[in-house]
Amino acid sequence: MSLDAIPIHVITPTPGEPGLTGNAPPLLRELAEQVKRLLASGEASAIDLSALPLTPADLDWLHDKLGNGEIAVTLQASGESTLNETACPGVWWVTHHNEQGVVTSQFIEVAFVPELVKAHPQDVAIGLETLELLISDL
Amino acid sequence: MQGPLIDTLARQGVTRRTFLKYCATLASMMALPPAAGRAMAEAMAAARRPSVIWLPFQECTGCTESITRSHSPTLEGMIFDMISLDYQETLMAAAGHQAEAARQNAMKDNAGKYLLIVDGSIPLGVDGAYSCIGGRSNVDILKEAAEGAAAIIAMGSCASYGGIPKANPNPTGAVSVSDIVKNKPIVNIPGCPPIPVVMTGVLAHYLTFGSLPELDAKGRPKAFFGETIHDRCYRRPFYDQGKFAKTFDDEGARRGWCLFELGCKGPVTYNACATVKWNGGTSWPVESGHGCLGCSEPDFWDAGGFYKALSVPANPLKIAATAAVVGAVGGVAVSFANRARKGAARSAHETTTLADLEK
Repeated sequence: MSLDAIPIHVITPTPGEPGLTGNAPPLLRELAEQVKRLLASGEASAIDLSALPLTPADLDWLHDKLGNGEIAVTLQASGESTLNETACPGVWWVTHHNEQGVVTSQFIEVAFVPELVKAHPQDVAIGLETLELLISDL
Repeated sequence: MQGPLIDTLARQGVTRRTFLKYCATLASMMALPPAAGRAMAEAMAAARRPSVIWLPFQECTGCTESITRSHSPTLEGMIFDMISLDYQETLMAAAGHQAEAARQNAMKDNAGKYLLIVDGSIPLGVDGAYSCIGGRSNVDILKEAAEGAAAIIAMGSCASYGGIPKANPNPTGAVSVSDIVKNKPIVNIPGCPPIPVVMTGVLAHYLTFGSLPELDAKGRPKAFFGETIHDRCYRRPFYDQGKFAKTFDDEGARRGWCLFELGCKGPVTYNACATVKWNGGTSWPVESGHGCLGCSEPDFWDAGGFYKALSVPANPLKIAATAAVVGAVGGVAVSFANRARKGAARSAHETTTLADLEK
C-alpha cells in the first residue's frame, strides 16, 4: 500500500505569524534597571518568567536577544537545572526542570553569582567534617 | 523524628539545593517575589512538622489521587515530609478500630494544633445517613474533628462548595465544610480535582509564616486564585485580537486561537491552571484544545452548558480598558449569536443537554 492511500493532510505552518505578543521587549528595559541596581548597591534581583504572559516565541526572542555568555552551570538536583550567563555579564537565564525533564520554573536572575550556585555554610561545614575524616585516615 | 525538616530531608538524600530549587518553584507558583523562595526554604527547613488529619467524606478520591500522583517521587515525598499525616483512609495501613483509634489519639495529643484536611461534601439529608464511616455520619465526625483543629483545609470543590454531590437536585442534601463549621479558619482549595501545588503552597505558607495565606471572598488563597484562567491564558492575545476557534477542528483551533466561542469558562473562573499547569507541568485543558469547565467555581456543574459561550464578556469594563476593541466586539457578537441560537437561554443556570455537548 502506498502512502497516498492514507488520507493524510499535511499542514505546514504559515510563516508571518511567529506568535510574538510584544510582551518581551519591555523586559529588556526592566533588566537594564536591575543591572544598574546591581552595580550601584550589589542588590541581586530576578524576573519570574513563568509569571508573565509570554508565548514560547516570546521566550525564544528574549533568549535570542540576550545570547549566551561564557559560563553555563548545570545543577543535578531532582531534575536538571541550568544557570547560564547570557551575553550580558551578571544576567543569568535560570531554568529548572523536574525529573521528567519538564520546565517547572524559569527566571532571569541579575546577580554576580546566582544564589543557588553558592554553597551554604552548613553544607560547607559538613564538607569540612568529611575532609577531616579523610585526613585522619591518612 | 520530629526534628527540623532539613535534617529529615537530608537523611533521605534530598540536598539543600534540591530543596532551594523546589522552594523557588513553589514561590513562583504562589506569585511571591522571586527572592521569597530562599526565605521560604530557610523557614521551612527549620520548621517542625504539624500533625494533619485528613477526612474523606462524600467524594471520589480524585482529590487524593491528584495530590499523591503529582510530581516526581522525591517532591511528592517532600509534601508528606512537611507534615505528620496521622489519619488518611486511602493511604493508611491501619483499618477498623485501629484506624479510628489513630484518629482519636491524634486529636487528643495535638488538641488545638492539628490541621484538618477535608475532601468531599457532607450530606445532611436523612440525618446525614447518606455517608457514614464506622457507623457515624460525616457531619458528626466533621464536627468532632473540627473542634480541636487549628485550621481546616477544604480540599476540592465538594468540600469547598458542595461540588458534584450538590448538583441539582442534590439528592443527599450535600453541603460544604464552611456551611457546617463556623468558628474555625477555613481555606478552600476548590477544583475538580484541585491543583496539587496549591495544597503544598498552603502548607508551605503555614510552615513558613505560621499562618494561613490571604484568602479571597470565596475563602480561596489569593496567591493561586487571584486571577482568572482567562487573564493568565497563553491564548489571551488571540482573544484580544478577536481570533476565535469556531469548532474544535477548524483553522482557528489548529492555530491555537481563543476557545471563548466554544464555551471556555476561563473568563469567570479563578484558578492557577494557566500558570501551574497539570501532570508535572505537561499541559492543561486549554493547551490541549478544550475550553475551561470552571470546575473551581461554586456550582460549576449547574452553570449552563460546558460548550456554550458565556453570554456576556466577563467584567466588560476591564476588557474594554485592556483588550483590543475588536476582541470585545467579537465577544459581544458571540453572545448575540449564541442567544439567537439558543433562544431560551435566559440565565446562566440551566441543565446541560445533549445538544449543548454536540454544539
